[in-house]
Parts: sequence; C-alpha cells; structure tokens
Amino acid sequence: MVILRYIGSRLLFLIPQIVGIVLVGFILIKAVPGDPATLMLGPMASTDSIAKLRTDLGLDRPLPVQFFIYLQKLVHGDLGTSWQTTQPVLSDLRTRFPATLELVSYGLLLALLIGIPLGVLSAVRKRGIIGKIGGMYGLVAGAVPDFWLALVLVFVFYSVLHWLASPIGRIDISVVPPDTITGFYTIDSLLAGNWDALGSSVQHLLLPVVTLGLINAGPILKMTQSTMDRMLQADFSQYERLCGLPPQLITRHAFRNALPSILTIVSVLYGFLIGGAVLVEIVFSWGGAGQYAVQGVLNSDFNPVLGFVIFSALFSLVIYFLVDLAYLAIDPRIRH
Amino acid sequence: MPIKNRFNAEPTSAVWSLILKRTGYGLRYFVQFLRVYPGYAAGYVVVLTVALVAAVAPVIAPYSPVNADASVYLQPPTLAHVLGTDSTGMDVFSRVIFAPRIDLAIAVIGTLVSSIVGSSIGAWVGYFQSTTGIRSFSSNAIMRAADVLQAFPVFVFAIALVAVFGQSINSLVLAIAFVNIPIYLRLMRSQVLRIRDMRYVEAAYILGVPDWVIIGRHIVPNSIAPVLAQLSVNIGWSILLTAGLSFVGAGVRAPTPEWGSMIAMGFPNVMTGQWWPSVFPGLALAITVFGFALIGGSIEFLADPRRRRTLASGKPPLPTPA
Amino acid sequence: MLRSSLQGIKVESMNHRNRTNGLSRRAVIKSAAAAAAYSLLPKFGTAESFAAEATHTLVVAAPATPQSLDHEFDVSLGTIDTVGALYDNLLEYEKIPDPQVPDALREDIAVHSDQPYNLNLKGKLAEKWEISSDGSVARFFLRPGVKSNWGNELTADDVKWTWDRKLHLTGLGPFQAGVLNITQEDQIQVEGRYVVSFHVPKPNPLLLKQMVNLSNPVYDSVKCEQVVTKDDPWAHKFLENNSAGFGPYVVSQLVRGQQAVFKARSDYYRGKPYMDTVIFKEVPTSATRLSLLQGGSVDIAQFLQPLEYTTLKKVSGVSVDAVKASFAVWVELNAKMKPFDNLKVRQAMNYALPREEILKTVFQDLADKQTGCIPDIYPDFTDKFWTYDADLDKAKSLLAEAGFKDGFKSTLSYDAGNPVQEPIAILFQTALRKIGVEIVLNKVPAATFYDFVTKREQPLIFYLDSPWVPDPGYSTQLYFNSKSYVDYSNYANSEVDDLIKSGLQTLDPTVRNETYTKAQQIVMNEAPWVFIA
Repeated sequence: MVILRYIGSRLLFLIPQIVGIVLVGFILIKAVPGDPATLMLGPMASTDSIAKLRTDLGLDRPLPVQFFIYLQKLVHGDLGTSWQTTQPVLSDLRTRFPATLELVSYGLLLALLIGIPLGVLSAVRKRGIIGKIGGMYGLVAGAVPDFWLALVLVFVFYSVLHWLASPIGRIDISVVPPDTITGFYTIDSLLAGNWDALGSSVQHLLLPVVTLGLINAGPILKMTQSTMDRMLQADFSQYERLCGLPPQLITRHAFRNALPSILTIVSVLYGFLIGGAVLVEIVFSWGGAGQYAVQGVLNSDFNPVLGFVIFSALFSLVIYFLVDLAYLAIDPRIRH
Repeated sequence: MPIKNRFNAEPTSAVWSLILKRTGYGLRYFVQFLRVYPGYAAGYVVVLTVALVAAVAPVIAPYSPVNADASVYLQPPTLAHVLGTDSTGMDVFSRVIFAPRIDLAIAVIGTLVSSIVGSSIGAWVGYFQSTTGIRSFSSNAIMRAADVLQAFPVFVFAIALVAVFGQSINSLVLAIAFVNIPIYLRLMRSQVLRIRDMRYVEAAYILGVPDWVIIGRHIVPNSIAPVLAQLSVNIGWSILLTAGLSFVGAGVRAPTPEWGSMIAMGFPNVMTGQWWPSVFPGLALAITVFGFALIGGSIEFLADPRRRRTLASGKPPLPTPA
Repeated sequence: MLRSSLQGIKVESMNHRNRTNGLSRRAVIKSAAAAAAYSLLPKFGTAESFAAEATHTLVVAAPATPQSLDHEFDVSLGTIDTVGALYDNLLEYEKIPDPQVPDALREDIAVHSDQPYNLNLKGKLAEKWEISSDGSVARFFLRPGVKSNWGNELTADDVKWTWDRKLHLTGLGPFQAGVLNITQEDQIQVEGRYVVSFHVPKPNPLLLKQMVNLSNPVYDSVKCEQVVTKDDPWAHKFLENNSAGFGPYVVSQLVRGQQAVFKARSDYYRGKPYMDTVIFKEVPTSATRLSLLQGGSVDIAQFLQPLEYTTLKKVSGVSVDAVKASFAVWVELNAKMKPFDNLKVRQAMNYALPREEILKTVFQDLADKQTGCIPDIYPDFTDKFWTYDADLDKAKSLLAEAGFKDGFKSTLSYDAGNPVQEPIAILFQTALRKIGVEIVLNKVPAATFYDFVTKREQPLIFYLDSPWVPDPGYSTQLYFNSKSYVDYSNYANSEVDDLIKSGLQTLDPTVRNETYTKAQQIVMNEAPWVFIA
C-alpha cells in the first residue's frame, strides 16, 4: 500500500516536471537566433513562400501561444519535424536514441565492472598498491577529456596498429543492420541469429565503449571506495570484526550497505551520459541522439533539440524513479 | 574587566581576529597535511605552474600563438618547434602555453560566479525553507526550478546558451556559470539546513540578531568548506566543458589558442598520422584538471574535522583490518 | 574493370576537368576509384571485403545525402550528384581522354570551328537537332521509344512541361531560362510527337549548351501531371523525394542523414548500367571517409582533404591522379559594405593573400591559382589581366592610397563543414595582420552557411562554386551581372552588364571572344573577389 502511494505521488510530480523542462527548453531554443522557415525552404525561396511557411508552422504567433501549440502537439505524440533530415523528430529519435542508449549502457556496464571491484579492493586494502592505484585512477579518469581519449584510442588501435578495421559508425557499411526490435544492434542481431551483424556491431562498439567505460569508472570507483571506507569504519563493521566474522563476510555486508550510494552515482551518470556522450558520438560518427541535438542547436533546427531534451529528461526521471524503487528493495529503513 | 566575547567585542576587530586565528589554524593543518600525504602537493604544484605559465606566456612563448606560417606546417616535434606545428604552421608549444589563459579564465571566473550566485540563493533558500508564507513558497519554487535546470542535458544547455549569447568568451563564461549554479545551490542549501539547527544559531536568533547577520556571520563561514572543495573540482570540470564546447565548434573563435579547439583542429590530422597537434593539448588539459582535482581532494580532507584529527599522529591512519 | 565501371555510372558527366583539390564535385572519382581498386583487390577474404565484382554494387562515402531531389530548389552537393544519374538531358558533349590522365574521360568543351555550331555534341534524348540560320529557333528531334522510370514514353510534351515549370517556379528555373531569354511559355513549342522547338528573340550562343547543362534535364510530365495538386501544380512535393525522369537510375531508398540507395534501370535506353546498385552513405567527416576507403568499406570517398590525398599517395597500390576542373574557391568582397566599396581596398586584399603558400600547404599542390574570373578551362578564358601575386608592400601602399594607412577591422565568415576554409582563413588573417588589417574569423555551421552567403550581409565570406555551362557568357552572367541571384559580392558595373548581355546575343566566336576579354579585363581590375584557387 505504502509502496503504491509512493509510486503514485512520484508519478504525479512527473507531469509538471516534464512541462517545466519543456518550458525551459522552449524559452532557450526560441532565444537562439535563426529562422527555421528560411532554412527549410532554402535560399531560392521567395518571401511569399517563406511567409506562408511561417504561418503554417505558427511562427508568427506570440510565444506563449506557440508554447501551448507545442504542448498540444506533444500530447498527441507530434514532436515536429527536423528541417535537416526532413523527417519527424519522433522517428529520428526512434533510431538515434537506442543508438546512444546502447553505447551508454555498455559503457556504464564496463565502468561498473572496472569501478566496483577496484573500489572495493582499494577500500579494503587501503595501504597497499591497490589502494594507491584506486585513488589515482579516480583522479586521472576524471581529468582526461573523453573525446581526446577516443581520438588517442582510434589513433593507436586503428591508424598505428591496424588491429581494428574502420572503427567508425555502429556497424560496417557492407553489413546490413538487423531488423529493429529493440534498436540495440547487439540484441537485435542476437535475436535474429545474424552473426555477421553481431560481430560487426560488437567490433564497432569496442573502442567507444572502452572510452566511456574507462572514464566513467572513475566516479564509480571513487564513490565505491569512499562509501566502502565509511561502511568499514562504521560501528556495525567494527562490531562484526569484534565478533570474529570472516573478512569476506564483513566486506560483503559493508558492500551491501554501500549499494545505495553506488546506485545513486550510476543513475546520475546514466542520465548525464545520454547527452554527455555526444563528444564520443561525434568522434565515432555514431549517429546518436546527443549528436542529433547538438547538430540541431548549431544549425538552428529547433525541434530535434526540444525532442531530445524531452526524451532525455523522461529517461532521467524514469531512471531516478527506478533507482528509488531499488532503494526500497535494498534499504529496509526507507520502507518505514 | 569587560569580558571579551563574540557578542561584546567590536564587530570588525572580532571578525579580524577570527579570520587570523582560523587562517593560522588552517595553515598549520595544511602543512601537516602535506607532510602526511605528500602526493597532494603535486596538485598545488601543477595548478600553480599552469597559472604561472599562463601569466608569463607572452614572455616565454617562442612564437606568437596565432601566427600562421605555411612554410613550417605540420612539422613533427623538433628543436625549433618543441611540440611541432599544426596544419597552418602555428607552433603547438606556444599555443599550448597560451591556452590556459583562456581556459583558466573562463573556468575560474565562470565557476566563481556560479558559486557566489548559487551559494547565495542556496543559503537563502535553506534558511527560509519551512517557514510560512511567501518565503517558504518561493524557496520551494526555487528548488523545483533547480531540479528542472539540472534535468536538462548539460552539454546541449551550454551550447544553446552560447548560441543565444553569441560566440565569444563572455558567453562561454555565462554558459559555465549558468550550468553550475544548481550544484552550489543544492550544496549550500543542505549545509545551511544542517547548521541552522545548531544551538549557537538558535542562541543568536533568540538574542534578536537580524537574519542576514546570522547567515553572514554564523552560517556561511561554517558551511564554506565543502563549497571550496567543490569549487576546485568544478573548475577542473569546467575546463573540460569549455574544451568540449570548442571541440564541437561552439567555443572560442579560431585561431584563439584553447585546448579543446586545438584538439578539434588537429582531429583530421590524427587520422593521417600527425598526432601532435591534438595529443599535446589533451595532455595539458588532463594534467591541469588532475591538479585541480587533487586540490579539491585536499580541501575536502582538511574540511572534515574527523579526518583532520588523524593528522596529529604524523602518519596516514592505519586501515581498519578487514 | 574500373574504366567500364566508370562508364556505366553517370558520375562521369565531368563537365569540367576535375581538379582534386577536395572541392570539385566529381574530383575524387578517378583517384578514389584508383584507391578503391587497391582496397578492393586484396581483401576478398576478410569480413569487410566487398565483392563488388559479383554484386555490381558501388558504395560512395559522401559528405551529405541529398536534401531534396528537386534540383529546381536545391543546389546542395548531394542533390547535384544525383541529378545526373536520375535524369537525362537532350544533349551531351563528346568525350575525349584527359590530357593529363589518359585513362580518364572528360567532356570536350572546346570551340570546334569544324563542327556544326562550333560544338562537339552528341545526342542523348535528342537524336537530331538544328538551329535556324538566323539563330532564333532551335529544333530538337527526340529519340522515339525512350521510357521513363514510370514507363511513360518521352515526347515533346515532356520537354515543354519541363521548361514551363522553370518559368513558373521561383528557384533556379528563371535563371536557366533567362539566360536564354526565354520568358514566355509560347517560346517553347511542340511541333510533333517527337519534335519540340525553342524560340528566342535574338541569337543565343547558349541554346545548345543549356541543353547539356545538368540543371536542365527532362522530366516525365505524364507522371508529374498525375501527382500535381491545386497547391502544388508543378509536382514539387513529389519530386522532392522521388524521381520522374529518363535517366539510368531510380531512387530506391532515401533516408536523409544516413544514406540514399539507387538502383539501375534495366529499361534504360542506352542499356542497363554496369553498376546495379549505388549506395550513397552520408559520412560527414572527411577523415572518416578516408578511413572507410582505406579499409575497403567504400569504393569511392568524396571530398577528401588535400592532405588526405597526399596520404593516399603513400599507400602502395594506389595511384592518385588529378585532373583539372572548373570548381573554384574565393572570398566574396561585399561591394555594398565599407571598406570594400573601395576599389583599392579590394585590390589590396588580393595582393595580401599568401596564395602560393596556400596552394602548397592547404591544397597540397592539388589546385591551381585562380588567375581569372571564369574557370581557366572554359573557352575565351584569359589570364593576361592577372596581377595579384602576393605582394604585401603593394597591398600596404594601396591601403594607404585608399585612406586606410592604419588598416581597418572586419570579419571573415567561413564554412565549418569545409575543411580547407579554416586554414586558409587563418593564413589570410596572419598575412593581413602584417598590413594592419585585423579580421575576426567567424565559423558558420555547414547547414546554415549557404543561407549566410545568399543574404549578402557579411563583409567577407568564402564561396566555392563552378558555373555549369562551359561558356564565358554563362559564367560571367552568374557572378557579375548586377541582377543575377548569384552575384553574392553585390558587384555592379553597368558596362560589364552590357558586355555580358551583348556576348549572349551573338553566335560569332570572334565577337564573343573580344566581348568577354573586355569584360574580364574590367572585372579583374575591379577585383570583386579575393581570388584563391
């Protein structure tokens, strides 16, 4: 019952938050100079046709009216059209958002695989070399720019060593991408039994995932280490030690208590990376959603930007919500 | 003999003696800290060096950072050009040491602005939260607004701000400031919430000390440490953001030396084998941000009284056997 | 293998000898095809190998997919590249081997006094053609039995509809028709099922050349008439995403921003093209296109940077050939904005540009100096009025004469999507600094750059282009006629206007030569552009 009420109240807040985000985005985008009508019709257009298009798009109405029109269309699932791709934004995002999601998910997975073990180890063995490495890693990973690391990796593994063939794009050009079920090339090709596509998409995922994984392991490691540290110093751990429990068990218990903080940082990173992976997307010509939005801002193409903002905000909110649910599951104190 | 205490003494001299005492303590702790953890000194060394180099760059740079000389384009590192030249013949070394002037300036000023503005709003919000009436309502409204701002994808937000204000250094500073305000807002607010429940604040309130004096003299100084720690880390992160913006083309104008735009300009050359125009600025960037991160870590340590106490022994604390 | 594949594809409509300066449209075909040969050959065993032999598929890495397939309104690179494959013209030039690269074929655009109308033409959709003795009527006899991709036969009505469309829409059409002095529908007459005639008030030397121009192919009017609506009587919406023409290819898939797929037509009147499928993949970064080529994933990489060609030269098994073309890049000096309304200032800007250095480093010697205001391979071109070799002292003294002894400030806008413009801008900026001129560089995103150019509000802006008809009248009309849409530098000189006009009203090659030499003399002296390459 309590849980249902909690979920209900959270969902209730979702709507105004989304509206708030759309409002901020709308104001911001409208402040960016550039006239979509001229850009859509091209330089050969007559002033008449431009004026007509502006009326069609509703650009001649006052801003609050435009906002309400946008909201109206939004409720019906119409995110507008991008003048660059001449496609509806919704369908553009349907292909690009999973692309970013796939990249970010695998990247975070790798980051977790690197960050958590190292974090736990460096908290447990603070004095040894692992502890020092752990501390260093967190700092270094946070300092290295992700697009630069991507460049360096491409240079080393492709230009110099030739270990990987053309690490650009999500899949090799000669290989047909699998039919879209989830939008994740890896999952879709697995489901279809298409081994060529699987192999090619995995190969293309390698470098960008490594880039994101190495860098984002930093904050995860730091958070794991500091939380584990605190848990190991805490009274309950001291008590367990007094009681003579084996070290493995103590560590496991401490880790269980550290999980909420780790979950927090993962959720924050997840939400951040949807838009934050854009630089890596650009280096690898990934065709992701962040890249799509950035191109939109740079070229005065408003609808993709707003569409992306909505998608990513929704996604963040969903993630936070799921994480909160996970807290409920992990931390018995919250239930009361 | 009149008892000199905080509430009897002249305001100015009391504050001064407070500051001196605190600084004195601070310095002692700082020196002790460096003795126990010598590694952190590297952070200070790095940042000071970078700042120094940036300051004297016009004097020590062998070439002008914006002088394109086609006759020496894309040369690998040699004695004449220690870090090589880029595709228009500009000397990479000169550009790398001139770049921090822009990068540091933007990051430091932007972060400072955001910390001052964000902290002020945050302190106000935290102090007046859960009081009744308009103050409570507006503080809640501000928090929801901060939520919304933070949910916005940072990078897109920054690019849009630059597009709105036009491509210039000022707009970059504004973008950095804007993007970081929610962080300080939240930080300060949580600190203020913690401290305003303390006894001495309650005492001051009962004595009738006006609100803004309470905030200014009691609450803020006691909550400033985490903000300082965040400041340093934030500066590092802001440098990365500036570089990222320039990489995408929304940053400084060409050919202004700036680490991110240097990496971007050198990107096509990396594929054809000329790695130096992109790699060196990236290294400089990473090292600088690393330095700031170390500084931030040291401030964080010093701000925590529990960890500060462990310095007394002169050695890093023994890890709890696990 | 390559020569036949080159012939099969329509891409060889090289109106111009293509200089691989990274700018010309078809620049890379030869060199990239040569590079592709290397990449195709040894890789058959790997996962990324590309059995082009078996499937006859050509993959092209292009900077952009076509925005709109209606060339009337879209002059973007992606559209231009595809128009030649989807549509056919009435006429074409005969092909001859390129003098520098004998394996490559190029159009013969020279003046041939022994040929009818002084041109070496071949019929495409037209079998025969004639011009009346007074030069005012051109009659075309269409080839019977030619089918469009919708199955409709080519008739004179198609030609009429095509040209009527030009007169009614507000894009490129009015220019293309205007250059021929065609302004009324009754100037195009259908005289029989396969006979159509054009009537011009005065003899016009461009009559036949315009029929070769890729901007003037023939639409399938039967199909178009089926899809018109009241709001869209000229099938613009339909033609944006579909083709209705008589060309060898038809568009089978168009996903903008990603790729465009073209399939060969087996009922093409000249026989099915060699390449069954042509895939245009959008790959925005040139470095990426290069690596895709090196890896064998694509057969052709368009618009590589000059440095990338140099790298390709070092790869064994690749031969890089460069042929001359008509594409050029220059900086527009806005004659309506101070201080570029001053002749001496414009000349000074030309003297200040470190041209030789730019050609050597930015273009890697893959470009020629632009010594005239029309492409140097066009008839009646002359470089004898060229004086602007780099001379900073001369530039400084000219500035002083103009009253700018202490220099001035300005802004130079360049295209973020074109990789050669930023280095040129930086080199130019350094040189100008030496004579006291401070310019700020303004990077404009690629999608909005063209918009900037056409607005004509910038003092200095880059532009790169090629006039599509190899004719001095056409070329000068485009850029230097004060009423031309493409006169982006706001150049206005009534004497030049008259010269251009008179040259377009006579068929006599000697008279034309005199007229256009004089026009070039005036234009070169007035320096409306900073000539680069």
